[in-house]
Amino acid sequence: MIGFDIVGFMISWLTLFGIYAILSLTLNLESGTAGITNFGKVVFYGVGAYISATLTTYLVLMLNGVNVGEKPPYSVDGIILLGELGNKNPLLNIGLLVLSLVLAFIIAGVLGYLLTYPILRVGPAFVGFTLLSSGELLRIFLQHYEPVGASKGLMAIPTPFGWVAESRVREVAYLCLVLGLLALTYVVTYKLVNSPLGRTLRALRDDEIAALCLGKHVPRIKATVLFIGSGFAGMAGVLLAYYLTSVNPNMFVPAVTFNVWAMIILGGFGNLKGSLVGAAIVTFVDRALTFITPQLGITVISPDYLRWVIVGLLIVVVLIVNPKGLFPEKPIKTPAIDVVLEELRGGSK
Amino acid sequence: MSVILEVRDVAKYFGGVKALDGVSLTVPERGLIGLIGPNGSGKTTLFNVITGFYVPDRGSVLFRESNDLVRIDGLNPNEVFKKGIVRTFQIPRLFNSLTVLENLLVTPLGQKGENPVRALFRNSWSKQERELASKAIELLKTFNMLHYVNSKISELSAAHIKMLETIRGLMTPAKLYLLDEPAAGVDYAMARELFTYVRKLRDEHNLTFFIIEHRLEILMEYVDYVYVLHNGKLLSEGKPQEVISDPKVIEAYIGV
Ligand SMILES: Nc1ncnc2c1ncn2[C@@H]1O[C@H](COP(=O)(O)OP(=O)(O)O)[C@@H](O)[C@H]1O
Ligand SMILES: [Mg+2]
Repeated sequence: MIGFDIVGFMISWLTLFGIYAILSLTLNLESGTAGITNFGKVVFYGVGAYISATLTTYLVLMLNGVNVGEKPPYSVDGIILLGELGNKNPLLNIGLLVLSLVLAFIIAGVLGYLLTYPILRVGPAFVGFTLLSSGELLRIFLQHYEPVGASKGLMAIPTPFGWVAESRVREVAYLCLVLGLLALTYVVTYKLVNSPLGRTLRALRDDEIAALCLGKHVPRIKATVLFIGSGFAGMAGVLLAYYLTSVNPNMFVPAVTFNVWAMIILGGFGNLKGSLVGAAIVTFVDRALTFITPQLGITVISPDYLRWVIVGLLIVVVLIVNPKGLFPEKPIKTPAIDVVLEELRGGSK
Repeated sequence: MSVILEVRDVAKYFGGVKALDGVSLTVPERGLIGLIGPNGSGKTTLFNVITGFYVPDRGSVLFRESNDLVRIDGLNPNEVFKKGIVRTFQIPRLFNSLTVLENLLVTPLGQKGENPVRALFRNSWSKQERELASKAIELLKTFNMLHYVNSKISELSAAHIKMLETIRGLMTPAKLYLLDEPAAGVDYAMARELFTYVRKLRDEHNLTFFIIEHRLEILMEYVDYVYVLHNGKLLSEGKPQEVISDPKVIEAYIGV
């Protein structure tokens, strides 16, 4: 029987959308508005996910008196213990969520700042590729680093709302958390774009040399933007780790970055609403395929490949109709617009 | 009259090309000084050295800071700007996705709203933003460009682009303006208008201008003093009439 759980579908789609939209909004700030080609978005996402996974699994075991030297969270014993101990104390779970979010923001942010500061001095063309390869280096490191489970990763991560008995309530509560953080990300990126800083970022994107000649400290400004964007990507990683309850190195391949790029190209470079719509479309295609294909019994084509084909086609069609994406960049809204309006109105009297 | 800029024995080589080969000159405060010379004589290179794009292979560049002349060679372009030097480019460099107004507003340094934390709190910068907008509007009025306030750069004429690139410096406390061929590609009437504005700025705002220009017929009418470069060396200098009748200059321009 083909049963279709529409509510379950909506919850899983919106949760994934929320997580990815945090990535697409901040990538749009970095690459769309400020013109930094960040091909390493997945690095900061992965760092955030691993921070929350490591912190949560180790602390839950240690605070419950388990000797993690003998029974580390990636061992079979550890995984079983995590299942038993993980959801006993709601305050601990929520506390670990908050701690993970804060640490992920700071560590991923600082990493973004440090990684890019020297690279940005070299020249824009190198930034993208250096970030891309840093991601791969990190992934290879994680694959061989035993304390975080090496290639198996970490599993049975206790989740913030794991103590809620009813699974639907738990899922909705988590969705609310994700959408809450998405709202925060939107407000922050929107305010940054529509401020003198946003104007300066567009100026750097348009002509770095001219900006330099007007005294702008180009490398520092770009690194600051990458601090902010990477910090939020770290938080998105935390949300992903708790959502999937597991992390492993293969979740953080460069394709994740390109997925986010697809969202901002589709939605429109420099337009934040476009990034939301782009994230919604791409994650919808992803969820829909994952839901539908098993029920249709298609086994020949993996939904993974089909997703890339569909997203690729969508991008081509949208760019043919409108090269700037679904939503072109809007003028910056600052009080200067009001001053001009007053002036022009006053002048015409 | 006190010196605002001094170039001492500056050399800049590109491989075997001696773009600058021991140039010394001074620019007086409130001067309107011309820099001429045939194509490839090193004029733009000199501006690039002064503004920190190139470190000279020899010699030094000094700029007035209150009562002293301090070395500025070796500083980065953004640091040179902070000292009070703005430049324009032979091929103008404006911010093409920004409007005319925004091109002016983006110029002042250290705006409150450029700080990423303050940017989040509109109240902390909106007053300054409104003041800057009023200042920008006044400037556009002065230069008869108010009707372009919301235009994109691509909608402007060549003359207005050159004008905008020059006047955005007026949003800052800069003292010395280096203009690289402001009249290139601009029709005669507009070019004269531009130079008239420049003279007015010098007179009314106590600014100093050092101007590269190929169109001597216009330049010579406005400048007080002219330097002539040829093959990276100073060939001649003096008042416009003296320079224009100097046989060495005529020879260089006709090309031998
Ligand atoms: N970045 C550079 N690399 C190599 N050669 C250069 C460079 N910049 C200028 N030159 C050379 O230096 C000489 C002077 O150039 P330039 O200063 O642009 O002349 P002008 O502005 O007087 O026409 C020319 O021969 C030019 O080819
Ligand atoms: Mg030149």
